Amino acid sequence: MTQPKHEVARPPVFHNKPSLWAEIWKKRTLYLFISPFFLLFAVFGIFPIIYSLYLSFHNWSGLGERTFVGLSNFQYLITDAGFWQAVGNTFGIWFLSSIPMLFFALVIAFLLNLPSLTGRGTYRTLFFITNVTSIVAVAIIFETIFSNQYGLMNYLLSLVGIGSLEWMNSSFLIKVVIASMVVWRFVGYNAIIYLAGLQSIPKTLYEAAIIDGANKIQIFFRITIPMLRPIILFTVIMTTIGSMQIFTEPQILLGNSGGVGGAGMTMTLYMYNEGFLNQQFGYASAVSWAMFIIIAVFSLINWKLVQKA
Amino acid sequence: MKRLAALVSVSFLALSGCQLPTSSGEEKPVITLWYWNRSLSDDVIAKAQEAFPDVTIEAQKIGGDEYKTKLHTALIAGRGPDIVAMNDWAFEYLAYEEEFVNLLDYGAGELEEDYLDWKWQAVEDPDSGSLIALPIDTGPTALYYRADLFEEAGLPTEPEDVHAALQTWDDYIDAAIQLKEETGAYMFESITKPYLQMLEQQSDKYFAEDGSYIGDGESIQTAWSTAIRIHEEGLSARLTDGQETNAALNGGDVASRVGAVWESQITQDAAPDTAGKWRVTRTPGGDGNNGGSFIGVLASSPMKDEAVEITKWLVSPDAQQQHYLDVNLFPSTIATLESELMHKPDPFYGEQMVADVFIESAKNVPPTFYGEHYGIFRDIFNDELVLVDRTNKNPDQAWEDAQRQAARELSRLEK
Repeated sequence: MTQPKHEVARPPVFHNKPSLWAEIWKKRTLYLFISPFFLLFAVFGIFPIIYSLYLSFHNWSGLGERTFVGLSNFQYLITDAGFWQAVGNTFGIWFLSSIPMLFFALVIAFLLNLPSLTGRGTYRTLFFITNVTSIVAVAIIFETIFSNQYGLMNYLLSLVGIGSLEWMNSSFLIKVVIASMVVWRFVGYNAIIYLAGLQSIPKTLYEAAIIDGANKIQIFFRITIPMLRPIILFTVIMTTIGSMQIFTEPQILLGNSGGVGGAGMTMTLYMYNEGFLNQQFGYASAVSWAMFIIIAVFSLINWKLVQKA
Repeated sequence: MKRLAALVSVSFLALSGCQLPTSSGEEKPVITLWYWNRSLSDDVIAKAQEAFPDVTIEAQKIGGDEYKTKLHTALIAGRGPDIVAMNDWAFEYLAYEEEFVNLLDYGAGELEEDYLDWKWQAVEDPDSGSLIALPIDTGPTALYYRADLFEEAGLPTEPEDVHAALQTWDDYIDAAIQLKEETGAYMFESITKPYLQMLEQQSDKYFAEDGSYIGDGESIQTAWSTAIRIHEEGLSARLTDGQETNAALNGGDVASRVGAVWESQITQDAAPDTAGKWRVTRTPGGDGNNGGSFIGVLASSPMKDEAVEITKWLVSPDAQQQHYLDVNLFPSTIATLESELMHKPDPFYGEQMVADVFIESAKNVPPTFYGEHYGIFRDIFNDELVLVDRTNKNPDQAWEDAQRQAARELSRLEK
């Protein structure tokens, strides 16, 4: 582009500014229609985010004086064994749940996509039902299944000759129980997403592969998986964000304390306890910002890894 | 554009619909009351409306777990109901007494004689002379035990005899050893429950009234070491609360529990197969209280006079009688405790007059001080005891860890 032309183009640019508002005014009805979302988002989304940042530099019980304490909430956080245990627990539960869940979801989706399958719609609904069941009800059922001394799982283990396990007393087994609840709840949801992805892969690719003499396993790893990559990326990110925020499962199953030795205490439950039970709203805000950073960094790492693979 | 305006105004009408004046035209002032299910009798509230015809009492029942959070939010916002029921955590709000009407300014002082002293004192600040609430019900504790299992173990079975034999926690633990040997049943469902109930028998908890920390003092140490003794003698069934405890109670694996009067209903629901086998007697080591609620008026209420009068009416001796009959709220007024209606045999306890035991207990509860942060410290010690009970954590290590966490928590609260 040459200099003179640029100068010629100037007046309309200058003229553009007032016309932006004129444009909005002209389309005011449309903006009015979409405004509820932005108003609600400003009140219930943006304001709390900014306010929580402000609170994280204060000590505040909700009532009474709000005192500025600088970075001391964050100092306390860094040396807070309870918080770091919650971080470790959350990652442990994420690891125990997301890998088997996404694997099973893929297998289920593959089976649902088999051309010979009849009644696909029914299966799709059935697999999705687990996702819309009340978590509270699910947690109560899992409590009876994995109870230490009177549980169904221990009864089944005793039938096959394995001694009973103290599910709710072991730091590791508590995480397994929570992870199994997460898997139970989300495997169907992810399977439906994978199924949609599988159905969008053009049949011609499979036909070409068969003509070239590829076997089933080669087709799966050379065509299905690469074509599904964007869908897998989506589910990995969503699962990561979801697992980092697990709250209801441990709270209903184990109570606010997170079970024996806090083995089921997750980051969100920890934040809830600090804010709403101990009324340390400043500290709870600091915890929530630490969570934000952890989730952001971890999602980014995940994204890079899955993209490369 | 006109259509849009019409749409908007219709939706605003719909949103504000609940506040539209009634068509009858008469506009009585509204008094709002927050309570949770079974914290007050619905019938008594309906009768309160008849007794105060000049106002409309709008009673809002609010779900259990969210109740305190919702109240706290209302207090922060400075706009809430006029009258509010509060559970046993009401004492936490003594630190924010300016949020509540001082009921002594409204003539509540003359009612003091009617109520149990320790219950009244729980929500009174002696320094400022402020009373933030009136008592609703109480939770006196007693020893629930299985007479049939006690008999099998060669222990006394009649309530008076059991009380005579089990005067202290040491007596109780000795009986537990005998019971375990003879019947295989456990005397204690966990070590945290006896620990909590021992604390409820004592005046001193984690804080002295001047706010200083006494969680390493004699009171806590005694309760702690008794709980540890139960663990070391192998007398705890190591149960989790809820379904597992219910199953153990119903199956006869646990032969006793120290609990509040409101746990009677819970035991009956949990262990229907054991009906008729339970008895109740005074707790080893003295009477205590666990739970019980209060009702107060918020300072933000525009109609304090009416609200206070309604509050007084809702917890008067007559109303408390009705609360007891309708929803089993154990009274806090002495007149109601002494009334004839309390003396009824209960088939679940082999026709024993169980209320007599709880009435005696209620009259002997020591006044106590919890402090604003009681809940945080209760949880710290409780969590360590759970580790000892269920994962065999070294008790000395647990005590050290509890004290270290308490010190850390104190360092933050003092800021």
